[in-house]
Amino acid sequence: MKSFLLPLMAFILILAIPLSLYGRDDYPDHDRLAARLKSLEADYPQYVSLQSLTQTAGGKDIWVLSIGTDNLSDRPAIAVAGGTEGDHLLGTELALRFAGMLLKETVSGKTGSLLDSVTFYVFPDMTPDAGEQYFLPLKYERKGNANSSYTDRYGNAIDHPYTDLNNDGMITLMRVRDRNGDWIPHPDDDRVMVKADKGIGETGRYSVYPEGVDLLKDDRWTEAGVNFNRNFSFKFPNFTSGAGEHAVSEEESRAIASFLFDAKNVYAVVSFGSANNLTEPLSYNEREASGRIITGILEGDARVNQMVSRKYNEITGDISGPAAAGSDGDFFQWAYFHYGRHSFSTPGWSFPREQPGNGGRRSRSERDDCPALHFLKWADEQGIDDVFIPWESAVHPMFPGKEIEVGGIRPFAMKNPPFEMTADIATSHYRFILALAEMRPEIRIRNVETEVLGRGVYRITADIVNSGILPTVSELGERVRWVQKTVVRLETDEGQETLSGNRIEVLDAVQGGKTETRSWLIKGRGSVKLRAGAENTGFDEVIIRL
Amino acid sequence: MQITLKKGITTILSAILIAITCNGQEEVTEHFFKASGTPVNPEVQVAWNRYYTNEGLLGIYRELERAHPSLVKLESIGKSFEGRDIWVLTVTNHKNRYHGDKPGFWIDGNIHANEIQCSEIALYTAWYLAENYGQNRFITGLMDDKVFYIAPTINPDGRHNYMHEPNTVNSPRSGTIPLDDDGDGEAAEDGFDDLNNDGHITQMRRRCEFGEYREDPDDPRRLVRVRPGERGEFELLGWEGIDRDGDGRINEDRIGYYDPNRDWGWNWQPDYVQRGAYHYPFALPENKAVRDFILSRPNIAGAQSYHNTGGMILRGPGAAEDERLMRPVDRRVYDAIGELGDRLLPGYRYLVLYRDLYTVYGGQIDWFHFNRGIYTFTNELMTSYLYFYEQYETRDDSQRAQFDFDRYLLFEDAFVPWEKYDHPQFGEIEIGGFKKNFGRIHPGFMFEQDAHRNMAFTLHHAYHTPQLDIHEFTVNDLGAGLSEVITVISNSRLIPTHSGIDVENNIERPDYITLEGGEVLAGMKVHNRDLNIAEEQKVNPARMEIANIPGMGLVTVKWIVEGGRDYRVTVDSAKGGRFTREF
Repeated sequence: MKSFLLPLMAFILILAIPLSLYGRDDYPDHDRLAARLKSLEADYPQYVSLQSLTQTAGGKDIWVLSIGTDNLSDRPAIAVAGGTEGDHLLGTELALRFAGMLLKETVSGKTGSLLDSVTFYVFPDMTPDAGEQYFLPLKYERKGNANSSYTDRYGNAIDHPYTDLNNDGMITLMRVRDRNGDWIPHPDDDRVMVKADKGIGETGRYSVYPEGVDLLKDDRWTEAGVNFNRNFSFKFPNFTSGAGEHAVSEEESRAIASFLFDAKNVYAVVSFGSANNLTEPLSYNEREASGRIITGILEGDARVNQMVSRKYNEITGDISGPAAAGSDGDFFQWAYFHYGRHSFSTPGWSFPREQPGNGGRRSRSERDDCPALHFLKWADEQGIDDVFIPWESAVHPMFPGKEIEVGGIRPFAMKNPPFEMTADIATSHYRFILALAEMRPEIRIRNVETEVLGRGVYRITADIVNSGILPTVSELGERVRWVQKTVVRLETDEGQETLSGNRIEVLDAVQGGKTETRSWLIKGRGSVKLRAGAENTGFDEVIIRL
Repeated sequence: MQITLKKGITTILSAILIAITCNGQEEVTEHFFKASGTPVNPEVQVAWNRYYTNEGLLGIYRELERAHPSLVKLESIGKSFEGRDIWVLTVTNHKNRYHGDKPGFWIDGNIHANEIQCSEIALYTAWYLAENYGQNRFITGLMDDKVFYIAPTINPDGRHNYMHEPNTVNSPRSGTIPLDDDGDGEAAEDGFDDLNNDGHITQMRRRCEFGEYREDPDDPRRLVRVRPGERGEFELLGWEGIDRDGDGRINEDRIGYYDPNRDWGWNWQPDYVQRGAYHYPFALPENKAVRDFILSRPNIAGAQSYHNTGGMILRGPGAAEDERLMRPVDRRVYDAIGELGDRLLPGYRYLVLYRDLYTVYGGQIDWFHFNRGIYTFTNELMTSYLYFYEQYETRDDSQRAQFDFDRYLLFEDAFVPWEKYDHPQFGEIEIGGFKKNFGRIHPGFMFEQDAHRNMAFTLHHAYHTPQLDIHEFTVNDLGAGLSEVITVISNSRLIPTHSGIDVENNIERPDYITLEGGEVLAGMKVHNRDLNIAEEQKVNPARMEIANIPGMGLVTVKWIVEGGRDYRVTVDSAKGGRFTREF
């Protein structure tokens, strides 16, 4: 079996190489991604530096593009992360196109001045090991990296647990005729399998598994590798498949976390992934937002989320599917709860879901919400006819003599739209991220006044203003040690004495448009330097001559 | 006749020799007479009444390795933030079995920089094991059966800083990554200042008519709080230092800050939940090196980490919400060993971390226990009980005991007498107080006893790591060339091959019992031999997978074999060791 498959796979691979290298109308594989990143660096050397943060267990680079002008680490920054989930190639494409459009518009002068005051860090692909599966002869929605040090907990090394029973190069679903099974074809579309509703007298007729899954002795199956989006420290799901040995165990997780902790200028993180707090904002829940371990968004940050979400919908329209609060151990929630920055996530695209039928049997049920049903309906309307693999009979060694069929939705299709659609999606998300950049917090020193109190004693009064829209730090960020708060620093000449006022003061969050007024009493002539700001708001400085 | 006599003398001589070495060791040499329980003339002479720098420790490691090459092996498992090696001594009889095939025991110390005597306790253990091998029956058995991985310091940067830089008794607790403690954008810019240049950071006090303190008439070195309504003579201004950055605060941004014992991968929480946490689990290179080592040694079944202070034998969990994950079998093991510790260590109490001390998220013992299923204790060394063998109810009482102890037993060696100093911000002040080497670490003459007692506790813990054996091997002829092969595996110690949390979450692979010699047609785990209740393993029956071999328990497996003879049984347990027997 194997000896027969290997040459065949090699042959398919040879066929596939030219397509993936030169094909322009598909998502980029790791080599094309690197090529596009390097050409951005070559084309815009004054704005771009490209760096490989680390290599994954599979030997693939984790890239970051730092985009900005001189002193870019002293300017407020947005981090954009794509490929946070291995089967979401759209995210990588959106991050890449964001960088491309941003840089292209610098030439036209549109964003050139923006880059003088904002920095962008773009991580186009955090899951290159898993994402590779899209380009390999055997395609399935892989989540795990190539870290093979984790076994199936039975001491056996695991590769992937699937077999391509119908030899179509894809892992879809396998349904087994089974009187004790829980599944039936969907009454509205028999291509889709749903659970039988025993409450209305339905009985199951099938069991459903991933295609060719190799069940372990206890009827469980385990995926190989560690899933980046389950490997972070907020609500880390211990002992679950794909989570990893412990939180932030993987090289790529450590690399992005270390980079971001060093980047004190980041005020917001935008991730492309399954979580969605842009179509609808996260809502404030007092119980979750209090206590020693905070598990819900704080009130002020919920307001920010609301404002940003409104902007997102204005710009992109309704293209990202339903709200999704995030999942345990994901990157998006980590960026808020543990990194302390405003964190936004969107899948970038989803097929439309009709509102559950008012005239239907029930107002809202799992069955009506069945994503596959909506997806196929949308695909039919669009005339996309290659996303469903019709059910066909097959054999599986673990189910001898049973009636087995293989079929289902083509892997990747539900999360990654046809490539032709990505240009429009990317443009709207590019505009959204620019709008988020326009909302950045910005500290300015205004209304500096000097009064002479006599005998060489002066009173200096100044307003420290956040002239931006977002607060200088998130409400949660106020508690997070690694979030830089605004520092107000008054430096006097030698021979001058500060009679009153703080020479160094660290401010809590300054809301957008709000002012903090400070005054100092200084004895002695000379010049005084007042500096205010932080890396995440930019710095402002005035020299006051007394 | 002559020959007979000579032979007789030889016999008598060897009998005498045997008599004096009945416990293995000569009890008197030209210069020394053996004190019970201590090697009389060790190969490596170590003074256990002083503490060692990193360089001093390394010198002893190398001596041990040189003197006992088949017992002690030294390796570096990684580098610290400042580039120092993290050393591990692998201590076992390296000649009888590969160390990875023996149940392993991990010992570390000094994760907190200022808790330096932990390293000497760990090193005393390595020394004691090596010097007693072949001399003491218990130690010899332990070294034949088990392997000890001993990392005397897992924070060498902090140790170096504590010893070489001016510090208080409490500083530094962390490693030496400079961080911005006061949030002003600059890292470690306002640390201690050793104003009187004595290498110790002591207290600053100033005469003050409305001070809260006055001298204690019993010992004028000591300040006591005045009673309400009473006027004092002094105010306390904190640890020696000046305001370097002009923010109106003193010593507010020192080296470090983070806590290496809040950096581990179980129930890790960020700094705003758990003060001291760094960026993410194992972000600190020292801990990551330990993690990698532990993951590469699945045979480690027990562990001990040494801390100071307070006289405690602590088990996890660090957080109340994890107590529900403590399985009864795990509690029983901890209680049995912990209660023994209570007896062996006067002044120490066996306690549960979250319940009896405080909450710790991301602590080392929790990662060992919950992530790796390793039974682990933390001992908090040194307690004020040891000064006069008295228990003190209040802080004031134990402080008074410290002053008395310093006065009567240390002849005031531990105290910097108050002396005048002209401070740039406070004016005329006085500087004085206990030195950094007093209060948390043992005074020299007291060290060896406490080291020995703590070591003994740890050795008994290590003794109770799984001890597997083939208790019974029976072959019954079933006719037609078929045999029934029954093997009973025993674990004669307290600790199971898989802890409760391990069994529940499949942390470590199962134990494998493999039969060779004949074609295995079927294999089963026997639940009740008398009533013939067994569970068949259909896949690969020659290698039976056993989820757990319980402490002080037996596991029975049975095979049906065709054409069997010259049987070989291999027991392969990650934590219980690996061996093969032929039948």
